[in-house]
Amino acid sequence: EIASIRNQLQGKVAEMENFAGHLEEIFLTVEENFGRQEQHLEQHYNDVLQTLSQRYDDRETGLQEEKKSKLESLYKQLVACGQALDTSKELIETAQEVYRCQDERLFLKVAQLGLLRDFFFLEFAKEDIDLSLSTSLEFSTPLADLSDVKTMMDSINVVPAPSAPVINPQLPNSATQTSLHVCWSLFSDDTVEYYELYYRPVLEDTPADSTLPSPPAIKQRECSSCPEAALIRWESGNTNPVDSYIVELSETGTVVAVPTCQCLIQLQAGRQYLISVRAVNIGGPSDRSDAITISTTGTFFYLLEDTAHPCLSMSEDGFTIFYGDEELPITAMAFEDNTFTRCVAILGDLIPVRGRHYWEVEVDDETEFRVGVAYEDTERDGYLGANGSSWCMRHIRTPSRHKYEFLHNGWSPDLRITVHPVRIGVALDYDRGTLSFFNANLEQHLHTFHCRFHNYVHPCFSLDNPGALTVHNGIQAPDYTFI
Amino acid sequence: MALTQVSSNKCAGGFQKVFEHDSTELKCKMKFAIYLPPKAETDKCPVLYWLSGLTCTEQNFITKAGSQLAAAEHGIIIVAPDTSPRGCNIEGEDESWDFGTGAGFYVNATQDPWKTNYRMYSYVTEELPKLINANFSTDPDRMSISGHSMGGHGALICALKNPGKYKAVSAFAPICNPVQCPWGQKAFTGYLGADRSAWEAYDATVLAASYSGPQLDILIDQGRDDQFLSASQLLPDNLIAVCSEKKIPVVFRLQPGYDHSYFFIYSFINDHIKHHAKYLNA
Repeated sequence: EIASIRNQLQGKVAEMENFAGHLEEIFLTVEENFGRQEQHLEQHYNDVLQTLSQRYDDRETGLQEEKKSKLESLYKQLVACGQALDTSKELIETAQEVYRCQDERLFLKVAQLGLLRDFFFLEFAKEDIDLSLSTSLEFSTPLADLSDVKTMMDSINVVPAPSAPVINPQLPNSATQTSLHVCWSLFSDDTVEYYELYYRPVLEDTPADSTLPSPPAIKQRECSSCPEAALIRWESGNTNPVDSYIVELSETGTVVAVPTCQCLIQLQAGRQYLISVRAVNIGGPSDRSDAITISTTGTFFYLLEDTAHPCLSMSEDGFTIFYGDEELPITAMAFEDNTFTRCVAILGDLIPVRGRHYWEVEVDDETEFRVGVAYEDTERDGYLGANGSSWCMRHIRTPSRHKYEFLHNGWSPDLRITVHPVRIGVALDYDRGTLSFFNANLEQHLHTFHCRFHNYVHPCFSLDNPGALTVHNGIQAPDYTFI
Repeated sequence: MALTQVSSNKCAGGFQKVFEHDSTELKCKMKFAIYLPPKAETDKCPVLYWLSGLTCTEQNFITKAGSQLAAAEHGIIIVAPDTSPRGCNIEGEDESWDFGTGAGFYVNATQDPWKTNYRMYSYVTEELPKLINANFSTDPDRMSISGHSMGGHGALICALKNPGKYKAVSAFAPICNPVQCPWGQKAFTGYLGADRSAWEAYDATVLAASYSGPQLDILIDQGRDDQFLSASQLLPDNLIAVCSEKKIPVVFRLQPGYDHSYFFIYSFINDHIKHHAKYLNA
C-alpha cells in the first residue's frame, strides 16, 4: 500500500512539475507579448507626439507672422498720423501769424485770408483724418485640425491586423476527388483569432495563372573571376516577379539556387567553365540563358564604365582607355555621381574574393599614368595615391628622364628606376597585405606596399596626360610575384 | 685545401660557422664566415657571397646584419669573406683605415709591395667559390653576390666583369665610381699605379657603360643621411645615369633617415635576400 501511495505521489509530483513548466512557458509568452505591446505602444505614442509637436511649430510660426504684419500696419498708421499732425500744426501757426498782422495791410490780408481760407478748406477737406485703427486687435485663431492625431490615438488601442498567411505548396496525395488538404503558416508576431479560407475553382481550359518565366540574360561585362571563384551577374529577363534563379555549371553539372540576380560561385583553378542561368517561379524553371565562358586562370575583370572620368574613352573590347588630346569644355563634361571628376581615372570591377590577384598594364614610353588599387568609396574628386584610400605607381615624364612615385596618402619613397617598364605587373595579396609592382618584361621587382586592406579594393587606372593604357588580365601570376 | 673550423653557432635553425684556410691567391691564412640554412642538411643550396666594407672582418656581417632568418627561410647559404689579406707584414699596410689592411678593394694589385698578397678579386671570384663548392652542400651553378660600401663596389664589379656568373647582384651604399672619389683614387693609386686606364677595369660605372651579357637586375639601397654620400665618396648618380642610358635594369632606393652603418643594412637585408632568392631559387 505504501508503494502505491508513493507511486501516486510521484505521479502528482510529475504532474506538478509539468504544470510548473507549463506555467513558465505561459509566463515567458506573456512577457514576450507584453514586451511587444510595450514597444508597439511606445512607437505609436512617439508618432503622436511628433505630429503634435509639428502642429505646434506650424501654428506658432503662423501667429508670429500675423503679429508681425499687424505691428507693421499699426506702425504705418502711426507714421501717417504723425505726418498729419505736423501738417495741421503748420497750418495753425500760419493762421495765427496772419491773425497777428497789423490793420494797415488789412485789405491785402483779407485777400490773403481769402486765399488762405481756400487753402485751409482744401487742406482740411483733403485730410479726412482716419482715426480708426487700420487693423483689428484680435488674432485669428482658426480651429486646429487635430483629426489625424485623434485617429492615431484611437488606433493605439487597436490590435494591428495580421500579415497575410503563406500557403504551403500542395503535398502529394493530399487531395481526393472531393476534398483538399490546405496548409498554411503565419508570422509569430501576429495575434490571430480565426482564419477565413476562400476558394474558387479554376476552369480547365483557362491558361494557368503561373506561366513559365523567360530565361535571364547574363551581363557579360559585369562578370569577373579569379582562380578560386567567379561572380556572375544577369538581368532577370522577366517583368513578372521571379522566385529564384538556378545557376548551372555545365562542366560539373553543379547547380546553385540563388534569390537575386547575382551569384558568387566557388570554382577550381586552371579550368574553363560554361555557366548559364535559369529563372524559376511557381510554374517551374525557364529555359537556359545563353552561356558565358569563365576561365579560372588568373584574375579577370572588366573596367567600371560608370566610374570613368568624362575625358576617358574606352576601346570596344573594354580593356584600353584613352585620354584624348581635345580639351573638353567643363560644361560639356557629364559628371555622374560615381565618376572621377579631377583625376582622369577609372576603376576596375575586381571580384570580391580575398587571396591573390595579378594583372598587367601595358603603357608606352611617354604615357604619364597612375596604376594601382583603391577602395570602392575612394574620393571621386581626389587624385589616385593622394589619399588614404588609394595606392598607386605613378609615372612622370620630364624632357630628360622618367620619374616614378609609389603613392599612398600623398607620400612616395624616393627611388630611381633605370629601365622604363612598358608592361607593369600588379600583384595584390590580401592575406599578406601587400601590393607589388613589377616590370613584367624583365621580371624585375619595383616596389611593394605593405598595408592591411580592411575592405575589398578595386584596380584603378588614370592617365595624367593625353595617352592610352591597356589592361591585360586573365594571366596566371608568375612565380616570382608572390615569393 | 684544408679547412679548419674556428667557430659554430646554431642560428635561425641552421648554423653560423667560421672557417680558416691557407689561401693560395693571398698567400696567407684567411678566415671566412658561412651560414648554412636548415635546408643545407638535405639539399644542395645556392650561395650568396657577401663582401663587407672598409675596416670590416668576417665578423661584422654575421653579428650585425641579421641575415640569418631570411637566409634560413629561403634556403640560401651566405659566405662572408674577410676584406683583405691579414698578417702579411707589408710596410704601411696598417697606416690608414681606408688602404691596406681591411681595405683590399677587391682588386688584383699590380704594384709593389701589394701585388703578391693583395689579390682579393681573384680570391673572391675564383679561389673562394671553388673552396666552398668542394666542402659544402652547394649548387655550383647558383651563386649571387652582394655587399656594403667597398663591398658594394666589389659586388658590382664582380658581376659586371663576369657576365652570367652571378644570378643576382645587389648592394648597400656602394662606391659606384671609385675613379672619381677620394677613396678610390687613393686605393687605385696604391694598388694599380698611376695609369688610370688600369683603374677603369675595376670601376662599376665604367664597366656598366660597356657591359654586354645576360640581363642584370640590380637592387641598390642607399641611406639618404649617409655622411659618405654627402662627402661624394659614393656617387650613385653616375652609375644610375649610365645604367639608364645603357638600359641596365636598376632599382635604386634612397632611404630617408638612414646612415652608412650596419643598422641600415639590418633594416633592408630581408628585401635583398628576397631579391636574390627570386633568382637563386627560380
